[in-house]
Amino acid sequence: MPTLKIDHEFCTECRMCYVACRELNLNAVYVAAEPLHRIEIDPARCLFPGCTACLPYCPAPGSMVEAETGRSMVPPPPDVHRWSLKGRMR
Amino acid sequence: MTELPGKALARELIEQSREAAQHTPMDPIIEAAREKRLDDGAAFRLICRLWAMERLFYYIYGGWGQGLELNDFPPGVKYLFARQIMDESTHEMLYMDTMLRKGWLDKQRDAFDHPCGRFAINCSLSSYAYTLRYFASYRHSVRVAALNLGPKIVEMAWMEPLADALDDPALKAVFSSQFVENRSHINMGRRIVEEQVSTPFDTELCRRVCASARKDYAKFLGELANLVLQRETRADAGQVRGLFQRVIE
Repeated sequence: MPTLKIDHEFCTECRMCYVACRELNLNAVYVAAEPLHRIEIDPARCLFPGCTACLPYCPAPGSMVEAETGRSMVPPPPDVHRWSLKGRMR
Repeated sequence: MTELPGKALARELIEQSREAAQHTPMDPIIEAAREKRLDDGAAFRLICRLWAMERLFYYIYGGWGQGLELNDFPPGVKYLFARQIMDESTHEMLYMDTMLRKGWLDKQRDAFDHPCGRFAINCSLSSYAYTLRYFASYRHSVRVAALNLGPKIVEMAWMEPLADALDDPALKAVFSSQFVENRSHINMGRRIVEEQVSTPFDTELCRRVCASARKDYAKFLGELANLVLQRETRADAGQVRGLFQRVIE
């Protein structure tokens, strides 16, 4: 299963992903104490690719990537939406 | 180089706040943490109440932001205020993340329903929040003096020893990771007061609002310590005494 991570080269720390994730009560996006208050994704809680709720909210292209391949998920590629739908059908 | 107009005032307010911060109502909590008496329940009450306080900063800063007019301050002052809003929001997230990751809460919504996280009008937290919110009608430099050179200095004074006393790495990190930002807020306050407060009227106003914010913050800390250590509050004691008095009569 692919996992999602934040690329801090591009992330603006606007925290829209945090808000989306918290609203859905998944709480995979969190504020890390170390390195100081950077937004991170907890792979153990993140449901990607079953859930892609945070991706459309992210305003910084390239700031969320597939951890295994490094492929940018912002803006979300069309196949990512298909995975998401499949996840929901299951 | 000319002397900054508010330099003496900033120094005076910082010294007063440091003096007030030598002993705070948080001392028994720090003592309990040192002696390993701060169990999970107490830690939850502490974090949850501090989260409720941080939530109220959205309300306070919302009011303050409306009071910022175009061109009344240099852009640097507004940038620093934006940074402070962001940092306060970060601290709110840190507290909430801790409660969720520790399993104390299932979801964010539960904190709003919990007595420690719920907002109530008749408590010291709300009077502290209202005091700060009412400063919205003053100049930004005056209200920054009230908060950043008042309660922020007191907060720094109890947070450092508390982080030091805590054993749990996650709880320790929640507090110790705030030091950088808290220190920066104090420095922001000092700089803004030094550069922007120049008239005798504003100087006197700064003294008054700073003392008022410090007093209300101390009351909030007292209430927090009572809640965390589950001590009887003065209000409870008063009610009980009143009841006994009526029975005797």
